[in-house]
Amino acid sequence: MLEMNGISKIYRTDLIETHALRNFSLKVGDGEFVAVTGPSGSGKTTFMNVAGLLESFDTGSYKLDGADVSRLSDEQRSRLRNEKIGFIFQSFNLIPDLDIYDNVDVPLRYRRLAAKDRDQRIKSALEVVGLSSRMHHMPSQLSGGQQQRAAIARALAGDPRFLLADEPTGNVDSLMARQVMDLLEQINEMGTTIIMVTHDPELARRAHRNVHIVDGQISDFRPYEPRAEIEAAAVAHGPAPMTMTPA
Amino acid sequence: MTAWNLRPIASALWRNRTGALLVAFQIAIGLAVLVNAVYIVKQRVEKISRPTGMDTANMIFVASAGFARDFDYDASWREDIATLRAIPGVQAASVISNIPLSGGGSSSGFQARPGETNPEKTVPGNTYLIDEQGVDALGITLSAGRAFEPQEILPPTPTFDAASQAIVTKAFAKSLFPDDPNPLGKTFFDGLSRPITIVGVIEHMHGAWVSWDKLDHVVLFPRIKTGPSAIYVVRAEPGRQDAVMREIEAKLGDSNPGRLMRWVRPMSYFIEQSYLDDRNMAIFLVSVTGVLLAVTALGIFGLATFNVSTRIRQIGTRRAVGARRMDIVRHFLVENWMVTTAGVVVGCAGALAVGYWLSVKYQLPRLDLYYLVGGVLAIWLIGLLAAWQPARRASAISPAVATRTV
Repeated sequence: MLEMNGISKIYRTDLIETHALRNFSLKVGDGEFVAVTGPSGSGKTTFMNVAGLLESFDTGSYKLDGADVSRLSDEQRSRLRNEKIGFIFQSFNLIPDLDIYDNVDVPLRYRRLAAKDRDQRIKSALEVVGLSSRMHHMPSQLSGGQQQRAAIARALAGDPRFLLADEPTGNVDSLMARQVMDLLEQINEMGTTIIMVTHDPELARRAHRNVHIVDGQISDFRPYEPRAEIEAAAVAHGPAPMTMTPA
Repeated sequence: MTAWNLRPIASALWRNRTGALLVAFQIAIGLAVLVNAVYIVKQRVEKISRPTGMDTANMIFVASAGFARDFDYDASWREDIATLRAIPGVQAASVISNIPLSGGGSSSGFQARPGETNPEKTVPGNTYLIDEQGVDALGITLSAGRAFEPQEILPPTPTFDAASQAIVTKAFAKSLFPDDPNPLGKTFFDGLSRPITIVGVIEHMHGAWVSWDKLDHVVLFPRIKTGPSAIYVVRAEPGRQDAVMREIEAKLGDSNPGRLMRWVRPMSYFIEQSYLDDRNMAIFLVSVTGVLLAVTALGIFGLATFNVSTRIRQIGTRRAVGARRMDIVRHFLVENWMVTTAGVVVGCAGALAVGYWLSVKYQLPRLDLYYLVGGVLAIWLIGLLAAWQPARRASAISPAVATRTV
């Protein structure tokens, strides 16, 4: 699904060079749920940007879904982001002037899908996240958890091969955080590959695999744990039951 | 129209309508003023550049004023005319009663039948007294008939006493004899029912008052202007006007101590004076319109710049979820086009209302709708140009902005 080999990314200013990623290599298979953890400034977001084709990198190679994406034009990267990648941002990044329906519609319009197809996808995605009844609400009329679910619906509507989630629970309370995680797990179970950047070890434990980044390099691979073990650990920590109904 | 995102853009715009409405209002005022100003300027320019029927580029007027107690006007004009005609480069010279296109002159009412009491059948004509070289000196073209013969030229008279012959413009003749295409040889009458025979028809000639709707109603009589002041019209050969003027000043300046040479001026001087108000009005309107358009463009630019700077995260998010740079450019251009179009719709109504008011208040012609269409296209173009740079700047925003938390 995703294969990075020897990726490095350096941010340069007139005075300093910052090595955000150093010889970074990672493989993520189809259907995996990978958590990327690390301290602030470790390179998590840079990894996410490079993985999501939001930023280019300096050296190394990157294959996404079997295709080399190292030297794509800006337009080709846009198309790949639109068709293969779903983004979930820490701050939701919903467009405040559009209602939830239109927010979910944004990536579909850029794909130039027909109105009927878009409508079906939007309604289906909103149903998955439990926001069908709120589709004509404005983002400001929803709670943080609902907004994040709307953002997940936007990411899902395009039927992406994998989801990139950047601190998806960073701006919601703990109850909502568990709901969002439950939702991500459900999406993963449906076959979507998920890479989730987080600094919350509890959330990271719920992924199949944990990749720990320090100073732009992977410092630790947490081995794959069967889902049953993860769920057992989660029960021990008392997670809230998954709620799919509108809040 | 999926790619154009018209509905969501309109929907978002409506939710943040205050700034957009203000700019749309500014555009509406701009369009209303632009269309009418351009229309008025066009009319003024057309008025200024109307063909006069005369050889204005080569005409010179000379004014002389006799002041000495023993000043002999008759001898003076004869001597002056002879001197003028002898100057190298002079094609023709004539005594003339007034200066065409100068804003000063004489007019009388004429009729097709003697004793006509119906004022609606009295045709006004701008009258000039000239001699046998007058037609040549004015550079006018006769479409029929002939110029005056030397023996036909009448002496000065202190009272208005026209003549029994006249050369008239085609427009004057048509007003006088609307049903007769060939007025040559026909007789018309002055206010005292004295008969006047048309011996020549001028194709086209402007009279004294540039804003008069009968400007092309001109009647020339074969008579010498009354003294002691004289006006001469001189027509120089092409390209020799300046040299001839210098020669006139040298030859006539001190030739007669009993009179004063008041001035020697080219025809262009009088035309400029007569059309000064029209020219100033055109310059004023062009300046005001230019400023207004610049302010309107700045308003559109300001709104677009503000929209970009307050939506950086949103633009980054759009890029992240798949918008190409061109999609972002198009988004802002479409948004701006909607604001502009809202202003244009209101502006069209405003332009028509202002045009109607001007036509009623100042008897201006009704606004030509082509100008409205041109104005709309111009405002659209200005709007696109003004929004282009902010839209390009927006498209350069990195999609990585979407993942920044501050």
